[in-house]
Amino acid sequence: MMIAQDRITTSQAIVVLVNYILATGILTLPRFSLEKVKTPDVWISVLLGGLIAMIAGVIIVKLSQQFPEKTFYQYNQEIIGKWLGAFLSILVISYFFLIAAFEVRTMAEVTSLFLLEGTPTWAIILPFLWVGLYLISSGINSIARLFEIIFPITVIIFLLVAFLSIGIFEIDNLRPVLGLGIIPVLKGVKTSTLAFLGPEIMLLLIAFMQKSDKKKAVKVVLVGLTIPLIFYIITVVMVIGALSVDGVLTRTWPTIELMRSFEIPGLIFERFESFLLVIWIMQIFTTFTITYFAAAFGLSCLLKKNIRIFMFALLPVIYLIAMTPKNINELFKFGDMIGNAALILFGMLPIILLFIARLRGVKNEA
Amino acid sequence: MRLNHRNARFFLGLLLPISVLFLTGCWSSKEIEELGLIAGTSLDLDTDITVTNQFITSETTGSGSRAGNTQGGSTQKAYKNVSETGKEVLPTVRNMLLKVDKRAFAEHSKVIVIGEEFASNFNLQQALDFFLREVELRPSSMLLIAKNRASDILETNEPTKIPAFQLVEMIKGHKRTSKILPPMTFAQLEGKLESNASFLVQAVVSDGDVKFSGAAVIEGKTKKLRGFLDEKEIEGITWITGKGQGGLVKSLDKETHQSIIYEVLSMKSKIIPKVNGDNISFNITIESEGRIGEQWVLSDKASDDEFIRKAEKTTEKSVEHLVEGVLEKLQQEYKTDVAGFGNRLRIEYPKVWEKVKNDWDELFSQVPIKCNVKITIKDYGTSGE
Repeated sequence: MMIAQDRITTSQAIVVLVNYILATGILTLPRFSLEKVKTPDVWISVLLGGLIAMIAGVIIVKLSQQFPEKTFYQYNQEIIGKWLGAFLSILVISYFFLIAAFEVRTMAEVTSLFLLEGTPTWAIILPFLWVGLYLISSGINSIARLFEIIFPITVIIFLLVAFLSIGIFEIDNLRPVLGLGIIPVLKGVKTSTLAFLGPEIMLLLIAFMQKSDKKKAVKVVLVGLTIPLIFYIITVVMVIGALSVDGVLTRTWPTIELMRSFEIPGLIFERFESFLLVIWIMQIFTTFTITYFAAAFGLSCLLKKNIRIFMFALLPVIYLIAMTPKNINELFKFGDMIGNAALILFGMLPIILLFIARLRGVKNEA
Repeated sequence: MRLNHRNARFFLGLLLPISVLFLTGCWSSKEIEELGLIAGTSLDLDTDITVTNQFITSETTGSGSRAGNTQGGSTQKAYKNVSETGKEVLPTVRNMLLKVDKRAFAEHSKVIVIGEEFASNFNLQQALDFFLREVELRPSSMLLIAKNRASDILETNEPTKIPAFQLVEMIKGHKRTSKILPPMTFAQLEGKLESNASFLVQAVVSDGDVKFSGAAVIEGKTKKLRGFLDEKEIEGITWITGKGQGGLVKSLDKETHQSIIYEVLSMKSKIIPKVNGDNISFNITIESEGRIGEQWVLSDKASDDEFIRKAEKTTEKSVEHLVEGVLEKLQQEYKTDVAGFGNRLRIEYPKVWEKVKNDWDELFSQVPIKCNVKITIKDYGTSGE
């Protein structure tokens, strides 16, 4: 396998995790969670969702740390046997490339609505796919290094545009806190947990981490989830503060709408939505590449062939799946479906696997 | 080795012409000379909807400034208004293609003015749907309601000015007077329309000159224009909400009947809802600090403690008068809550609010409201007289 020489550090692992988590959620989380909660307390749901994701993430890490030199695709066969393990691997692989397809299509939808009106969808998607293929063809290390460049750009620009919107922020839109009790908040927890999809990458990532860093994997998950948590809370608070609960519910892409709702004359730029879209597209790209890589890597482990074959073979598959949803509602449903699959695959399964592994005493301390 | 080198060169050479195919650059670019920038839009109701777009094109901007420089050498204006009628908004706008040679481009549209007739006959949520849906129109553009015809608002006698942009500049004045409301942007409008709350929109009138004049009351249930408030009543609203950043209050000295003008430096208000069983009532506490901006009373010195106390008292009376005036109109005549009482109730008593929110406007008209004003005069400018 190609793991041997390709290693990443703790901070690179954090950056990969953060970049994986941040994706479509930034644009849609305020509306999706508000549809369930219907009070301004959404930010509490997001907070709870983040905490749940952290717990799930720590369990995944504990499981993977039992087999520090192996990825999920390899060690699941040791825990539950060859065939069942292979079946699980296939499920996880499908999950990864479905996410890749979903991200690509969402990117295409938003881009053709706000940026490239009239450009055909395939023309937006194809270059995106090709560049992604080019990146992952040289392995996890180049992916991590590119992510390290993208990460600070995202943080700086995001904070900048988010705080520029303070001019139209109204605290009354966020009050009262817990006015209708905790029940509405709990209704939104599932939706907001789904915005934190991503810790599952630790199933593979630990095997890629440097030997001395593997012990810090729990820290990777905690830090890697705290950063998106802060991003999401800022997003939800600013969006609701400016557009009000009722206003957010009717907007397809509330966060872009927020950026379009103010102009700041006098600065070099008056309008800031393109900044948000730029970092957002970069974040989609990172999520797309890492899931694409994870899927191709899984196939190569499963079928014991060179990973390159699968990288090229998956490309048309991802394209076809991305083009399947007929309209934007089907796309959103597709996203829901992936989320539900993730809850089962990565919420429940790791606990069971960890339990079986402990019970059977399978361990691999290489 | 050598051959390889040559081969590589050949292929690289081939790449050059091929790359040209991909470097067509601004593939769907639009030349600015060919665009008609829409600066503002007005909507009127005649028999059908009349949409008027204010276009700025490369020709009008040129002629506008030239006319200005040569002092009336040409009568052409800096803008060009094009009207079209139809049943819905988008088809009407599209029909303008039939008479305008420029490609309409609305990314820089700043203001949408709707006429009185239009606003009182259409549910605004239906009639403004296009403006909330279209990607090219930004939610940062603002809404105004015209008394009489809206298309008149987009006209001016000064050839160099663009009326739509003037309106935007004028509304910035809300920082220095309590007679102009803060702008109602489409970003806020969406939330207001969705929440079924009544709200105010700045009203504007044209009698040759365009002038801000009071506010339009939009009723939450029907989402139609209910009526207008005058400037004095807007001042009352501003005092109730405490959102004002400046403004003047005129009061009359009791003995001499001369004017004392109080200039607001800061304004704070608290609307405190009280719920007692089924009875809802409100207390408004208004606090303001300011200075004496102008006074006509000859017999008194502004530096005199006695006088300051007296001026504070009379100013308080005037503010109370403003507040009571507008409350009476809202409760008795319009029966709509546009001053944010419902919002305070929602925040302080969310559970009570859930019960009453559906017919809040009705309930509001019978709610007792008390008002407390405290004015503090901090200084009297550069003259102690």
